[in-house]
Amino acid sequence: MTSRMRRLRWINWPGLLTMGLLAGAWEAAVRWSLLDYQYLPAPAAIAQGARTLLTSGELIPNVLHTLLVTLIGWSLASAIGIALGLLLGLSPTAYRYSMTSFEVTKAIPPITFVPATLLIFGFSLRMELVIVVYVGVWPVLINTIGGVRGVPVELLDVARMLRMSRYHRVRKLIVPAAIPEIIVGLRLTLSLCLVLAVVAEMVGNPAGLGHALVLAQQALQPEKMFAYVLSAGVLGITLNAVFRSAAAWMLPSPTSGRGGGSP
Amino acid sequence: MKANEQPVAEQASAEDRPQPQPRNTFECRNLSVELRSSGGLACICRSIDFEVREGEFVSIMGRSGSGKTTLLRILGGLLSPTPGSTVRYYSEQVDGPPRGVITVFQNYAASLLPWRTVEKNVALGLEGKVSKDEKAERVAEALAMVSLSKRAKDYPWRLSGGMQQRVQLARALAMRPSVLLLDEPFGALDAMTKTTLQDELLHVYEQTGATVVFVTHDVDEALYLSDRVLILQGDPSTIGESVAVQCSRPRDQIETKQSEGFLTLRRKVYEAIMQGHD
Repeated sequence: MTSRMRRLRWINWPGLLTMGLLAGAWEAAVRWSLLDYQYLPAPAAIAQGARTLLTSGELIPNVLHTLLVTLIGWSLASAIGIALGLLLGLSPTAYRYSMTSFEVTKAIPPITFVPATLLIFGFSLRMELVIVVYVGVWPVLINTIGGVRGVPVELLDVARMLRMSRYHRVRKLIVPAAIPEIIVGLRLTLSLCLVLAVVAEMVGNPAGLGHALVLAQQALQPEKMFAYVLSAGVLGITLNAVFRSAAAWMLPSPTSGRGGGSP
Repeated sequence: MKANEQPVAEQASAEDRPQPQPRNTFECRNLSVELRSSGGLACICRSIDFEVREGEFVSIMGRSGSGKTTLLRILGGLLSPTPGSTVRYYSEQVDGPPRGVITVFQNYAASLLPWRTVEKNVALGLEGKVSKDEKAERVAEALAMVSLSKRAKDYPWRLSGGMQQRVQLARALAMRPSVLLLDEPFGALDAMTKTTLQDELLHVYEQTGATVVFVTHDVDEALYLSDRVLILQGDPSTIGESVAVQCSRPRDQIETKQSEGFLTLRRKVYEAIMQGHD
C-alpha cells in the first residue's frame, strides 16, 4: 500500500461529511433568517473574513505569536513539570513535605490567578508566559508523579533481584515505565497552553490571536472575529496531531498513545 | 559456571576429599513469616527448617495459599522473614537479593520491560557490570540456550507466552547464576509448551550445574524435574514432608513418568498435599 493510499484511508470521511452538513445547515439557517442575529455571520461570510485577514497580512503574525508563546510556555512547563514530578515521585520525603501545599494550590482554579498576574506583571509578554507556564505545569507534574509512583511492583522486584544500582533503576526502569503517562500529561498541557495563551492575550498581553479576536469584536467585525476563532481551532488540531505522531514515532510500544501500561 | 561465584580454594579442597559432602546453598532455621493482610498480621509459615544442597533441584509444593511463593521470595531476598528466623545463603545471612541468586517470576508479561527488545531485556542485569563485548556474548549465549536467537530484535509483547517466559529465563541465564529460583514459571502455559519448557529447563540445569528451587502446584512437574520435593502442610504451614526423587537422569517425558518409582512417588506426594485438608 502506498503512503498516499494509507493517508486517504486514515481520513475520517463520514466525520468530515457530518461537519460539512452542519456547516451547510448553519449557512442555510442564517440565509433564510431562521437564525437572525445581527452579529452571527454564516460560514461563507466567515471564510470571506478569513481570506481578507490572510491577504491583508493580519492573520499570520497573530497566529505565529500565539503559536510561539504556546510552544515556549509548553516547553518551560514541561521541563518544570517533569523535573518537579521526578523529584516528588522518587523522594518520599519531598512528597510528604510538599503534598499539602500541592493539593491546596491545585484546588484553586488557575484562571483566578489571571487578574493577579496582570497586576504583578502588567500588560506584557511576560504576564502571558507566566500564566501559560503556571497552568501548563500541572498536568505534566501530576502525571509524572503518578507515572513514577505507579511503576508496577513486578518491575521493581526485577530491579532488586538483578541488583541494579539506584541510578540504573531510575534511568533504565522507573523513568521509561513512567513515560506513557508523562506523554499523556504533555499532551494535556499542550492544549491547555494554547487555551491560556489566548486567554492571556484577550485580557492582558496586547498581541496574538486572543487580542486580535477582541479587537475584531470591538470593531463589530464578526466575520473576522469568527475567522480568528477558527484559526485558534486549527492551531489546536495541528499541534495535537503533530504531537501525537511524534509520540507514536518515538515509542514503539503497545502502550504508546494511551495512558498507563497494560493491567 | 557457578565456579565464578565460589571461593576457588574451597572448591579445590572439596575435590580432594574422596566423597565430597555437598555444601548447603540455602539453610533455613526456625523460619517464620508474617504478612500484612486485611485482618492484621497473618502468619504464613511457622518455624520451618530446611536446606537446599549445592547443585540440587528442589521443588516446593503445597496447596494455594500455603506460602510457596512467599518462601521463594525469602530465599531470593525480596522479602524479610520475622525476626528470629535464620536464612543463610552459604554462610551469609540473607539480607536483600544475594549475588548469583536469580529469580524467574510467574508473571512473565509484567516482569519484562515492554519498551526494550528481547536482547535488551536479557542484557538488563549486565548493563554497567560487564564490558560491552562480554555483554553481547553472554546475551547471545543465553538466547541460544532457550532457542530464541532469531527473535532477539523483537519486542517481548510480540511473542507468545511460552517465548516470553523463555526471555525471562534467558535474562536469568545471562547473569550466569549459581542459583535459579523459579516461581511457577510454567503455570500459565498450555500443556505442550509446558513440557517443552520443562525439558529445556532440565537441559539448562545439566549444562550450568546451577542449584534450582522451583515452586509449582503440579505434582507431575515437580517429580519430573526435581531431586527432592518439599511439601508445605497446615496453616500456618510447615514442611510436612521431604520426598527424594530417585528417578535416573536424563529424564524422559514418557519413560520417567510411567516408571514404577515415579508413580509410587506421585501417590505419596498427592497424599501428603491432601493431608489435613479434607
